[in-house]
Amino acid sequence: MKRTLLAFALVAGLFTTLSTQATTRADVDSFTLDNGMKIMVLEDSTIPNANMYLFWKVGSRNEVPGITGISHFFEHMMFNGSKKYGPKMFDRTMEAAGGANNAYTTENVTVYTDWFPANALETIFDLEADRIAHLDIDPDMVESERGVVQSERTTGLENSNWRAISEAVKGVAFQAHPYRWSVIGYESDIAAWSLEDLQQYHKTYYAPNNAVVVIAGDVKLDNVKKLAKQYFGPIPAQVPPKAVRTVEPLQKGERRVFLQKASVSTPNVMLAYHVPATSHADYYALDLLSAILSQGNSSRLYKNLIDKQIAVAADTHMPMSFDPNLMYIMSVANQGVSAEQLEQALIAQVNLIGAQGVTQQELDKVKNAKLINFYRSMETINGKANTLGTYELFFGSYEQLFNAPQAYNKVTVADIQRVAQTYLIKANRSVGVLAANEEADQ
Amino acid sequence: MKNQQSMKLSMLVLACTLGLSACSTTQMASNTTNTVANTGHSFAMPAYETLTLDNGLTIKLMVRPQVPLITFNAVVKAGAVNDTSAGLANMTANSLMLGAGGKTKAQIEQELDFIGAKIVTQGAMDGSYVSSNFMSKDLQTVLPIFNDVLRHPDFNDTEFAKLQQRNVVGLAQAKESPRQVIGRYYNQLVFGEHPYANAPSGNAKSIAQMTINQLRAFHKSYYQPSNTELSVVGDFNLNEMKALLTKTFADWQNTEAVLRPDLSQNLPQLTTSRVLLVDKPDAIETTFLIGGVGVRKDNADFVGLTVVNTILGGRFTSWLNDELRVNAGLTYGARSAFVSYADAGVFRISSFTKTQTTKAAMDLALKTYSRLWEQGIDQATLDSAKAYVKGQFPPQFETNGQLAGLMSDQYIYGVDDDYINAFQARVDGLTLEQTQALVAKYFPKEKLQYVLIGNADKIRALAKQYGEVTEVAITDSGFGG
Repeated sequence: MKRTLLAFALVAGLFTTLSTQATTRADVDSFTLDNGMKIMVLEDSTIPNANMYLFWKVGSRNEVPGITGISHFFEHMMFNGSKKYGPKMFDRTMEAAGGANNAYTTENVTVYTDWFPANALETIFDLEADRIAHLDIDPDMVESERGVVQSERTTGLENSNWRAISEAVKGVAFQAHPYRWSVIGYESDIAAWSLEDLQQYHKTYYAPNNAVVVIAGDVKLDNVKKLAKQYFGPIPAQVPPKAVRTVEPLQKGERRVFLQKASVSTPNVMLAYHVPATSHADYYALDLLSAILSQGNSSRLYKNLIDKQIAVAADTHMPMSFDPNLMYIMSVANQGVSAEQLEQALIAQVNLIGAQGVTQQELDKVKNAKLINFYRSMETINGKANTLGTYELFFGSYEQLFNAPQAYNKVTVADIQRVAQTYLIKANRSVGVLAANEEADQ
Repeated sequence: MKNQQSMKLSMLVLACTLGLSACSTTQMASNTTNTVANTGHSFAMPAYETLTLDNGLTIKLMVRPQVPLITFNAVVKAGAVNDTSAGLANMTANSLMLGAGGKTKAQIEQELDFIGAKIVTQGAMDGSYVSSNFMSKDLQTVLPIFNDVLRHPDFNDTEFAKLQQRNVVGLAQAKESPRQVIGRYYNQLVFGEHPYANAPSGNAKSIAQMTINQLRAFHKSYYQPSNTELSVVGDFNLNEMKALLTKTFADWQNTEAVLRPDLSQNLPQLTTSRVLLVDKPDAIETTFLIGGVGVRKDNADFVGLTVVNTILGGRFTSWLNDELRVNAGLTYGARSAFVSYADAGVFRISSFTKTQTTKAAMDLALKTYSRLWEQGIDQATLDSAKAYVKGQFPPQFETNGQLAGLMSDQYIYGVDDDYINAFQARVDGLTLEQTQALVAKYFPKEKLQYVLIGNADKIRALAKQYGEVTEVAITDSGFGG
């Protein structure tokens, strides 16, 4: 999920007038149960509510052909019945206690989010523990859920051009690594996976030692600890899942893909460049480069493409990832602008950074934006939980959140130019075009 | 993702993830009232102060020190219902950012971006909004820009022409996603000639023909202090902020009497079932809305209706989602909602399904809807819905932007703090008998209205089964009017 919410404690002197009430390292407690489950707790009584975010280290990168999309499908099945709470009872029980939930799956993780009045905390523990320890996969529920997921896939493709084009681009940018298929999976796999596939998936990945849990809101640490030991403590650890072995071979030349969709009114162009995993030292420079390209109407893509009437939309995206992944640059053409013209204009902006670098003023601007965006994310208990969990997963520890300021502040204009020259080059690029009509052969 | 999320998520997120906030400087007289927060376990309106300047501008101030941020929300009582050309209110609001107070568009954007501040402008159905969010330390930088954007826009010709062109293309793009536009078709169908039929976005033809003089006239007519409220929420010193805002806005003059159409008149009389079939030839699913006339935002029964609608289609375990999704596997989601404006509203059931199962999904939606009358609500379900509605209430008012938005809504819709403070008691007091009365009084039972967006060749025949069909192409300008 794209929440580039990064925390900052700030460079000396710049922000000395900041409110003292903002979240700091001292506000977060964490403990690990004997079975390996790590739990972080942030007390916040601004509203009489709390949340529980469970991050499982399983996503489409853990799949193989034949079971593509199973991580996401499994996310759905986690709501369909367990030992104490049978089919439909998870949602009925939670909603009757005043709670709501959702879940999402990415290439890297599967995340379950519960939002509830703080007095429902024990009910939430009971519900989660039951489905983690004792999921009961009902064959009839599997069949009706296939229809639901097929509808989710269809409505995504019907309503989101980005969904359609990104699937195609991933498919060419990656030739070996499981990032090459979409999170929702191939239609044929959705129709075909078996009960055994699902049971094995649960046993392998839904073990307490493969999870990170964050609880934020109107709760008390001692009570959370007690309930965590009582409900999550007895769930046995499992042998850790096998590592994802495949390393994507080095790309040695531009790759291209075209996707036709009759209702597309002007061409959409997506560029994707291989970039390192989020844990790599270059993450910070790449993240700031991405913001220099696309963040706000003073950004390079807005000033040079949208303001010049070449494009009507332009954005960049770099998902947080365990393995080396992609930086996406995407844009929608203005009326009368061809896909080729738009592509060349995008590439020109990317190449300009490699050739000439960026200004100190541009870099300072996106660093300032990082800071305010961090505070925006810290306005809600959900933003807090999500940010803490994200840092724990992708940077090795939630404590890295509080070191992020120094990491971003160390980035120089020379670093930005260096990462552009290293990663944003033609041989490392894939280009996707989505348009109503493919050009005829010459 | 388990459930559909709001459309506010960026397109990129959707592509890559499945997922589911006493003036000492002038002689201006002002009235200040204090509202004191309730205490206790239930959620109450946080404390705020109201300041009314001599020119009529109302300013509400709420101090929230949780994060070092401030939100400004100016709302002008004029929206798409005041459009003399479709989209005029929104184009006027959008154009406020095209240069103001002697600064160009690019200069304003550069100054704001450098400090991570945002100013967003929008013309909605009943109101026009200028909203800003910034770090508390940047108040002295942002306030003068905010003031100029609201009061002294340049309406630059060159920038207007570019915005106009972008918005025409943007309207065509919105139609590439049925989910984004189906509500506009539905309002047009239900409200007909009434101003609530107006799509705030306007349409490709109207936007292309709009002139900058129309924008200037709209701004002059409506953007006046006696027709505006400013909500300020965040981390600031109350007395300093009151002094600063009074100094900034005291010289804002009213220019002319504000004209307000009486929107409670000439509401639609729906005498037949009608179907608006919107043809999108490459559609792989049918997106549909079913319903009729709803209620206005200040309806005295709004809380009760929220509870009843929660049972029907307002949560995951609602009847509609349970039947169409969980039991039948026909769709990823089925919902219902009252969408309400200042003087009227609509009710609508919404879902989508692959083209081949359009009839199955629509018939099941109708059958499930009829349970409101045929079967009614049981006590356990009512109790559950009440707990759910109460439990999910506080997070709606957590951020500075949400609280500023709430105060702006109160101004536009004439709703007072009692809506927040008595919410829990009203929910608790709702009885089964009252739910029956609410169903009988407010939920449209007959003469239902339908919008279907899909491949017309494949669903034209079945569309006739539901009412008198009007067919339009999705690429036609406008929304079926």
